[in-house]
Amino acid sequence: MGTVSNNKENNNINSGREGVRGWLNPTRYGWERVSYWLQRLTGLFLLVYFVGHVYETSSITNGIDAWNSMLELTQTIGGHIFLILVIGTSTFHTVNGIRLIFTESGKGLGKPGRPDYPYNPSSLNYIQKSGIWVALLLACIAMLYGGMVLFGEGG
Amino acid sequence: MALLRLRESQITKIHYLTGILSLFAVAIHIIFRLIMPFGQSLSYENVVANYQNIFYVILLESILVLISIHGFNGLRIILIELKQSHRWESTITILVLIAMVGVIAYGTRTIVIASGL
Repeated sequence: MGTVSNNKENNNINSGREGVRGWLNPTRYGWERVSYWLQRLTGLFLLVYFVGHVYETSSITNGIDAWNSMLELTQTIGGHIFLILVIGTSTFHTVNGIRLIFTESGKGLGKPGRPDYPYNPSSLNYIQKSGIWVALLLACIAMLYGGMVLFGEGG
Repeated sequence: MALLRLRESQITKIHYLTGILSLFAVAIHIIFRLIMPFGQSLSYENVVANYQNIFYVILLESILVLISIHGFNGLRIILIELKQSHRWESTITILVLIAMVGVIAYGTRTIVIASGL
């Protein structure tokens, strides 16, 4: 059984197909890889939230009682924490997405140069790394502000 | 189907454009929740009043369409990255299009009923 599984794994690696396992493999993570991974995870999370949000807000069509019942479910401590998570992920996804648009248009990649030891690629430079850090920092600030609004007066 | 014939570079441009436009539309949507205490902004009367505002209705429909296109195309990109074959790509594209149209139709139904259009 183990041999069959190992053969399948070797075949997948040899064919260059690693699927979700390759996607989530932490051993090759630099900051750019973390950013790649977070961009996709936050995107999936936000898509699920968006579909849920479209569904929950549809309760407005069923009158005031249905709307208030929905609010009772979402306007709780757990609901607020979930919303803070949405604020953080959407901020990161937006800022990192803008960085990626600039990167794809060639901005912030540095000039191509002769590959010298230790062969650090010029494209993975401090501009890219600081962009990722700025995205994470802004996500934290947005979550903090969201928490103050949601848990503050009238939240 | 038109989308199946679009080049990947064209779809990428649509993805970026919908992402940037969503940013502005969602920002206005959030401002509508923050111009008064958050709990008060979610009261039934206030939300219905928002739906009676034609500009807000257009904004909501724009957000619905923009984020559906951006989000479901993002899902398509992730799924296509995991496996490559012509059949897989076509299947994923069709399924994602169906889901996208379904969400837009359901959200539009809410907007139309709530705004009394």
